[in-house]
Amino acid sequence: MILVKDLRKTFTSHVKEPGLKGSIKSLFSREVRTKEALKSINLEIKQGEIIGLIGANGAGKTTLIKILSGIVHPTSGQASVMGFVPWERSNEYRRQMALIMGQKNQVWWDLPALDSFLLLKEIYQIPAAQYKYNVEFLAETLMIKDQLKTQVRKLSLGERMKIELMAALLHNPKVIFLDEPTIGLDISAQKAVRLFLRQYQSEFKPITILTSHYMEDIKELCPRVVIIKEGEFVYDGSLSSIQRMMGDEKVLSVTTQEKTFKVSVPRLELSQKTHELFKDNEVLDLNIQDPSVEDVIESIMRNGVGPS
Amino acid sequence: MNWWKHVVAMELRKILAYRSDFWITFLGQTLIQLLVARALWQMIFSTQGVSEMNGFTLDMMTLYYLIVPIGTRMLTGENIGFLAREIYEGTFTRYLLYPLNVFQYKTITYLTYSLFYALQLLIIYALFRTFISASPFTLSDGANLVSGVLIFLLASMTYALMALLIEMISLWADNIWSLVVMLRFFTSFFGGGFIPLNFLPAWTQATLAWTPFPYLISLPARTIMGLATLDEISKGILILGVWILVFMQGVKLLWKKGQYKYTGVGI
Repeated sequence: MILVKDLRKTFTSHVKEPGLKGSIKSLFSREVRTKEALKSINLEIKQGEIIGLIGANGAGKTTLIKILSGIVHPTSGQASVMGFVPWERSNEYRRQMALIMGQKNQVWWDLPALDSFLLLKEIYQIPAAQYKYNVEFLAETLMIKDQLKTQVRKLSLGERMKIELMAALLHNPKVIFLDEPTIGLDISAQKAVRLFLRQYQSEFKPITILTSHYMEDIKELCPRVVIIKEGEFVYDGSLSSIQRMMGDEKVLSVTTQEKTFKVSVPRLELSQKTHELFKDNEVLDLNIQDPSVEDVIESIMRNGVGPS
Repeated sequence: MNWWKHVVAMELRKILAYRSDFWITFLGQTLIQLLVARALWQMIFSTQGVSEMNGFTLDMMTLYYLIVPIGTRMLTGENIGFLAREIYEGTFTRYLLYPLNVFQYKTITYLTYSLFYALQLLIIYALFRTFISASPFTLSDGANLVSGVLIFLLASMTYALMALLIEMISLWADNIWSLVVMLRFFTSFFGGGFIPLNFLPAWTQATLAWTPFPYLISLPARTIMGLATLDEISKGILILGVWILVFMQGVKLLWKKGQYKYTGVGI
């Protein structure tokens, strides 16, 4: 189980004015800017649960994942992952945890994947039989068997991501942090990764936190969603509740001579608003829909509540 | 802790991964350095009209310049600047995730390269004794060779820790490449990598005697050549041992403070 209480993280960075003058000035005096990446985060996740952590760029998703995986120390607050304090980095904790970052390579670039796996087998002390089963299971499920003996740097982006997934899951982690695992992948590779993650989740039941900018990842994998905005959680609940939240709203997609826009209106006012739209604009096209999950989440990220 | 054997195997596989680079490093680079040094010192000896300079004959000078580049590679390996670059790029993250001690891992990777270059040194030395030096190979030469290589390995350990210490500053300052280059320069200059140390003034040699530098390149090279006395060797090993303890404490202390600074951001 993951338990997080009042977790905060502050980063400082230097700010430099643009241009050569700014560069010279920064050699002698620099402005330091402080950013609160996480503000009093509280979270509870049960064993076997998979949650989707979503938010705009810079909202604090990756910072939270880095703290829970033990890479970064928090400024204050408490966190316990299966009874371990992550940033103490005990070997026992690290043997049960995996972090996959879509934008970072963790396997060795100059060697075939199987060479990296052999080292990981020793590092994680994976019994020979379990190692053999896992390599076969993961390679089959991810359809990457033929690429295991090729230098990792010579693989395509999608193939490398599959290798990263394999490397991270060889030791059957009980906690998995997935930070944008489908970023940059083509549609079929995204589908393959999602299918694999669903199979893995149902077979091994780890705690999984997934961040992604692709709503398909969230919709297919995460029954529970946490939305983070500027370092604070603004929504923590089920994905279906998000859809239900907006049950009394309709979204009008309108195309006029000048522009295309969307507007949310209460269901009871639909007739009146539609009439007004036709009266005030030269409407070329009108589409009336229930709000999509994307619309609702975007609205929550922007306003902290559902669409207006 | 069995993983270290696999780290060694992994690093060796990395060395062998690129065939042309392997042969260029293993033979080409050393032979070119040897030919240049031989031609240069031949000219100096003939211009000066002497057969010996500061205790070095032309053959000894050639051997010195054969040992020094490989010895320097044993010290610095391929990993020079790696930790600093990994911190800068954020790839250092991987070592924080694995259930192992990152500094043990790093030291083992350094020493793997040192072992590889030790093998190269033995082969090149054998070629030198067969094709260039006229004197027969004796038991005492063999003892000197083994002792020198072992001192080089101890020196590599010292240098690895010294480099770790410097590179960990990147936890605070992000880019410290200039410090890494300075360390390399000081090691070569004060270690006897550019010219043998007995060409330097006596006061400089006396000052350097308490630093690790003369024992990183000059002492093991002179040991292989049979020029170092037992007293010099014992003193050198003792001083390197003390510096290893000092650097280990320094690495521990810096990491204790610096780990709070690591953000895992990068390219």
